[in-house]
Amino acid sequence: MIAQLKAELLKVRSTRTTIGLFAGMIGLTLLFVLLTGLLTHPGNLTSKQDQRGLFAPGAVALIFAGLAGVLLVTSEYRYGTIRPTFLFTPRRGKVLSAKLTAGLLTGFVFGAVSLAIAIGVGSLILSARGIPSALSGSDFRVLVFGGLAGTALCGAFGVGLGAIIRNQVGAVIGLLAWDFVVNTLLFGLAPSIGRFMPTPAADALMGIRTAHLLPPAAGGAVLLAWTAALALTGLALALHRDVV
Amino acid sequence: MTAVVAESLTKRFGSVLAVDHLSFTLEAGTITGFLGPNGAGKTTTLRMLLGLSEPTSGSALVLGKPYAKLNRPALSVGAVLEATDFHPGRSGRDHLRMLCRAVDLPDSRADEVLQTVELQTAGRRRVKGYSLGMRQRLGLAGALLGDPELLILDEPANGLDPEGVRWLRDFLRAFASTGRTVLVSSHALAEVAQTVDQVLIITHGSLVVESSLQQLTSRVGATVRIRTSKPDELEQALSRAQLHATRDEQTLLVRGADTDRVGEIAFAAGVPVHELGTEGSSLEEIFLELTSEPGS
Repeated sequence: MIAQLKAELLKVRSTRTTIGLFAGMIGLTLLFVLLTGLLTHPGNLTSKQDQRGLFAPGAVALIFAGLAGVLLVTSEYRYGTIRPTFLFTPRRGKVLSAKLTAGLLTGFVFGAVSLAIAIGVGSLILSARGIPSALSGSDFRVLVFGGLAGTALCGAFGVGLGAIIRNQVGAVIGLLAWDFVVNTLLFGLAPSIGRFMPTPAADALMGIRTAHLLPPAAGGAVLLAWTAALALTGLALALHRDVV
Repeated sequence: MTAVVAESLTKRFGSVLAVDHLSFTLEAGTITGFLGPNGAGKTTTLRMLLGLSEPTSGSALVLGKPYAKLNRPALSVGAVLEATDFHPGRSGRDHLRMLCRAVDLPDSRADEVLQTVELQTAGRRRVKGYSLGMRQRLGLAGALLGDPELLILDEPANGLDPEGVRWLRDFLRAFASTGRTVLVSSHALAEVAQTVDQVLIITHGSLVVESSLQQLTSRVGATVRIRTSKPDELEQALSRAQLHATRDEQTLLVRGADTDRVGEIAFAAGVPVHELGTEGSSLEEIFLELTSEPGS
């Protein structure tokens, strides 16, 4: 398992795909913080809720971590490297567990960098505009730990989804459609059900408290349940599906 | 010692029977050509041998166990199923290093096999820029990482230029000369005829021939064609040697002897020879005959 994890982490580092996603995430996080921080009326940046919204890596890091996770699996099927991978490690459960761990770690790194940029640049903007910080130490702790746990889980979530939908285009479209369409629509139309979807659960985990969201711990539990469900389904399928 | 045993191996895809109760045994230390036209079920069979695909029924043992039950199989079996199984954006060396990690081999092993397949300079470039021949060799390098005793290669000569084919042939011979086993598939018998000791020929998922190459080639060149300015004298000389010839003006077609024998008879009879050669089935024709549809 350790050997396989080392192999998976080298796979992540040895192509430009993940690095490209990482750069894209940094760019979008910066853009989001700068636009929100500089263009929002100061009156709308004073409450805890406003500032959490500014600092949270939110949709950007979560979706990029999810995409990185999806590509960890689907790029192997797309380019056929799954064949040598399974020939070298025929115990497929081991391969998938290593990929889930690599997804968690990749998501964690994505979350850490995104949070550092959002909190660092966001705080600079607030102090430059003379807006006092509204968040307490414990608010920051929930934001940071919840954000890290959320992006890490999203990385593993992507791995699980990729193991189910092995076609790369299909899996990427599936992830984006689920996030932007299903989650958003369901949360907008029927929030009492929509809040149990992965993205609102991840928002809740970071302490964001807009109406209808679950408390942070419950949000974390829901996201964990989703990730586990996808991972176990992907695992069960990987064990028996032929590799052609 | 047997290297591979397939027992009544069967694979069905919906209504298509891709592999139909295929049984064969490979002895250690042999080079076997696994032959058949495209779509005969060769790759499906190899996938089942290597645990990538589950047989509908039957079983396959590699070095005495199902492939997936081998402990770190890459250290005893090297296999290449597709020449193109690389991420185009990853360097050849990184591809090999990632495989090394999975079985706890040092990175230095990646450099060693790159040297074996003569890719040491290209190894640090991304695979995107490799020719098909280079990709074939990189795939082979991956199979060699664990210093295996059994090598299974699917169509390794595809896309190789004549020089590459010769390189592969020399390599496989050198590999087998150390007592190791090779199973190499091909859709063209001529491609592997100079490499293999024995052949398995399949069509429509069933075995049609399992024989040594020698037995197969003994069918080649069954008729000798000889042209001479003194056909009458040659015909008499041949009949004295108990050989029957059919004659068409100055050309005689002789069955039951090879060109050496017919040439020597002509020489002994003092008959000038203008042309001497074999006629009839080549190895490729025999292969086509064996693998074509019955009655077509």
